[in-house]
Amino acid sequence: MLLDEIKSVLSFAAFKADPDDSAVPWGKRYEARKSLLINVSRGSVSWRSINKRGRFEEGGMQEGELADAAPQRGDEWRGMCEGGWCSVSVNHRFIISLENNLMRGDNCVSLLRTNPRAVLGPKYDRGKRYAICHHPETTASLLLAVEESLVKVTEDVLKTVNLKPGRVCCGLFAMLEHAILSIFRANSGGTPSNFVLIAACEGSLGVLVQQEGQWRDIRCRSGLGPEAVETALQIISPLLSKVPEGSPIYFIGDGHDNKFRTEIMLHLDKVGASDLTQDDLLWTIIGEH
Amino acid sequence: MSEYLCHDFKTPRTDTSRRLPSSFRAIPIIFYVALVGSAYVMTMDYFNYKKALTQKTEAEERRKLSESQRDASKAEKAELESEAFKAEKVAEWMEGARNIQPIAVKIARAVQAETRITQVALERSEQVPANLALTIHLNGSKVSSELSAIENALGQLLYRSYSPQQTKNGDVVEYHSTLVRQSE
Repeated sequence: MLLDEIKSVLSFAAFKADPDDSAVPWGKRYEARKSLLINVSRGSVSWRSINKRGRFEEGGMQEGELADAAPQRGDEWRGMCEGGWCSVSVNHRFIISLENNLMRGDNCVSLLRTNPRAVLGPKYDRGKRYAICHHPETTASLLLAVEESLVKVTEDVLKTVNLKPGRVCCGLFAMLEHAILSIFRANSGGTPSNFVLIAACEGSLGVLVQQEGQWRDIRCRSGLGPEAVETALQIISPLLSKVPEGSPIYFIGDGHDNKFRTEIMLHLDKVGASDLTQDDLLWTIIGEH
Repeated sequence: MSEYLCHDFKTPRTDTSRRLPSSFRAIPIIFYVALVGSAYVMTMDYFNYKKALTQKTEAEERRKLSESQRDASKAEKAELESEAFKAEKVAEWMEGARNIQPIAVKIARAVQAETRITQVALERSEQVPANLALTIHLNGSKVSSELSAIENALGQLLYRSYSPQQTKNGDVVEYHSTLVRQSE
């Protein structure tokens, strides 16, 4: 044991971030190492690997639950990563809500993991895992709540095939966070007073509405599937009417199949929506940041 | 807003320890610097040791060469000294070996007309060339006075008679003496 510790100091490994250190971006944690990214949606699992140079390599998608896909793909997945570490995006059984006056601070994120009651107070529910995204200018926050049982089951399933989750996150929520930051930066450190942000990720949809500089509404739905464009439009349309005409409409999306994105953009183009989507956006967000 | 960092709600591990502070990176850095320094010093020491061995071998060879040259010089010197000694001896002998003609002339002039010299012999000593063995056979009435005159005459040539002996054999007086040259 002592020898291992000495070796880790002399190889500088003791100063590197742990593979599951959530305070360090994934790309930095796995610098010059292969890692695996897995997205778990309702009814499908997709994955992508990152090589030692930090570039995306082969990926794939399989219909079915993670518990069914993992035993079949376990060997393939283990070959795509070093030490079995992977980043997992869970894209169903979550709720995103708008909250106000939540605690902010440097330790808020770690406190939300270790003692969520201290951050959320009476809003805390024992069976949930939380993540938070604060409005850059106001006291509003987006609160993500994921079923704890789903997180544990996902972790257990991966452990059965000798994979270790270095991070478990929600891909849709991560895309929302990323889009909010991108809009904030694109507008020179501010946000348009009115806008609608639509995020779609592997069959999950989230729509955020900002009116007069305040987040007013958030709607989310998971398990839509790539062909549920009509259902998505039914969620989006009422929210579009909440903002004045000419307000920016942003769309950001990613998925194994581009059909959903193409079809929904046909409708959103009519209201002048801007597509913020980039190639491999989900994998970039959970594989670099 | 600062650089975006993706959220994470995985179950925290309990078997992790705190990461070492970044300032502790100095420890392995110092270790490796010391390692490299030691390797450099050891390498230099090794090469210097090899160089010293070569220099020592060369010095040994130079010493042997010098010793052989010294021995040769000593032998040559001894030979020269021996030659010089011999030459000195020869020079001494040559210096001691003076002409005997003046002695013969002095003897002839010292003897009166009525006295006959039947034999004169001068023999030079090999060891002491300055000494001469003189043998004279005289036949006459005043031999004793003649011998005294001869000794006087030789005394003028700085020769002194040493251990003179006279033997009378009939009418002939045989005179033997060793002439020793006196220093001036």
